[in-house]
Amino acid sequence: MATSDTTPGSSQRFEKGTRETLVTIARHAFLLTWSFIVLFPLYWLASMSLKPPGQANSLPPDWIFLPTVYNYLQLVQSSDFVAAFANSLLMVGASVVLVLLIGVPAAYVLSRYDIPKERDVLVWILSSRMLPPIAVVLPFFIIFQTFNLFDSKIGMVLMYVSINLSLVVWVMKAFFDGIPETLEEAARVDGATQFQGFMKIILPAAKPGIFSVAIISFIFAWIELLFGLVLTSFKAVPVTLFVYSFIGSRSIEWSMLAAASTAMIIPVGIFLILVNKYLAAGLSFGVVIKE
Amino acid sequence: MSTQTQTETTNRSGLAQVRDLWNEYLPYWMIAPMVLVMVMITFFPGAYDLYLSLIEEPTVNVFAAEFVGLEHYETAFTRGGAIHSFVITITVVVSALVLESLLGFLLAAFVAGVDSGRLKSFYRVLFILPMAVAPVSLATIGRIMLNTEIGVIPYVINTLTPLTAPAFLADVPLLTVILLDTWNWTPFMFIIFYAGLSSVPDTLVEASRIDGAPLWRRYVHVIIPYIKPVVFVAVLIRMIDLFRTFGVVYGLTQGGPGTATQLVSINIYEQMFINNAPGVATAIAVVYLIFVIAIANVIIAKVGFEGVWD
Repeated sequence: MATSDTTPGSSQRFEKGTRETLVTIARHAFLLTWSFIVLFPLYWLASMSLKPPGQANSLPPDWIFLPTVYNYLQLVQSSDFVAAFANSLLMVGASVVLVLLIGVPAAYVLSRYDIPKERDVLVWILSSRMLPPIAVVLPFFIIFQTFNLFDSKIGMVLMYVSINLSLVVWVMKAFFDGIPETLEEAARVDGATQFQGFMKIILPAAKPGIFSVAIISFIFAWIELLFGLVLTSFKAVPVTLFVYSFIGSRSIEWSMLAAASTAMIIPVGIFLILVNKYLAAGLSFGVVIKE
Repeated sequence: MSTQTQTETTNRSGLAQVRDLWNEYLPYWMIAPMVLVMVMITFFPGAYDLYLSLIEEPTVNVFAAEFVGLEHYETAFTRGGAIHSFVITITVVVSALVLESLLGFLLAAFVAGVDSGRLKSFYRVLFILPMAVAPVSLATIGRIMLNTEIGVIPYVINTLTPLTAPAFLADVPLLTVILLDTWNWTPFMFIIFYAGLSSVPDTLVEASRIDGAPLWRRYVHVIIPYIKPVVFVAVLIRMIDLFRTFGVVYGLTQGGPGTATQLVSINIYEQMFINNAPGVATAIAVVYLIFVIAIANVIIAKVGFEGVWD
């Protein structure tokens, strides 16, 4: 970097070549280091979940071991875990469908119509994400007890909708902004109503956005702990709370805990790998048009 | 013609009328559910927190509540540990935000520069994986790997280096929280910055390369200004989410040892559900809410939204 004021001549080309080589070396060193940092904890967790309980926390670690699904079998046999996992899948899945049903049409209107003070409206929407969940959860704790929603799946679905709605609206508005209006106009000339135009033309065109926003919403609801901690006790316990209660117990069964944590990561990991192409576009809120 | 209109209106079935009503007010129907939910999740909790923070204790009959003014606020900031938890939270937010932004940007720039397309997508998939880990699972990983007795990281540090590993959760709990969050959420910054960098037109970069601008200049004067809106959105969203941090700390240390990692969200939780002091809890929540919204608004006003919303 010291040679930024380059002088003309052949020495410059030489220096430049060296510099590029150095950059390449630094690049690969850094990328490999980070790969290791990313992979090692994941590997460690997974390998621990595959070791028999006695071997799980031996030091020095047993690098070579016979993998066993013992911990997972224990986990599956514990009805609590299966119930919590199923609860989470159901509640989070339902919340994603619901938040899309509410948020996507609203984003379309925000994108296509002149809304007074549109900027303020968008900041207001984002402000719902600024409310720390702990501040939101207290009022809802009282409300839920009054309306019999405490420890109910419906109540949890509503809470998950509340954390994701602002993201859905923001991301989808940006996506709709990027779709030319001439598309729907053409459809209307052909006799379609505005709603039909939205359903048949705009939604398919915004599919990548819907995919990415669905997966982002899924992740944020799936990892949520606080709502489960405060608003459930038995029937609607999410899987995060199950994992947490493992930590809370006095003597920690490390290998079971590792298995439960790994099981929690797997569905999201698969999703992420499948949609990673769309994810970038979705997370950047349409600021980036092309990928 | 008038008779025709007449028959048309009289023959109209209820269904058709509903359809007309639907089409005529379409935008309102489409936006109404969102507005309804948004009002419910913004105004209501805010107002209720404010109410709880001003009364002696919650009562069944809302109107019988005894108002105590700012008493709970005073308690929160004298004996409630509010100041301490604000300082800790800001420390975590700022450090993690800086670390995650820098790392995310560096990773994005490096991956974007990888020549082989296959390798590039390999790195991209790999680097977003930590996002799949829920904070509570991350707490598990942390407790397993950093544990003084059974943890692999202290073991490696003690055996392979001359250093002695600190007891991470006891000696440097805040640093541990920051580093774990960085591991968890750098992918968020990485993927957004990566998308931003991929959108920079090649011609723009080429032009500055031909002008002889060195690498860092190319970034500072050409690329970063171009992707400024992306950087801005990423940092803003991540900052807002960092202020909500709860799960990883609760799973890792529950705010301890002592109050060393008692973030505001943990402090509120404990005041409410352990100390049974809803007034103090909501008083902190109200101040925190105003604080976070104010900071976000200052940033939005300062940096502006050019390029973000047309």
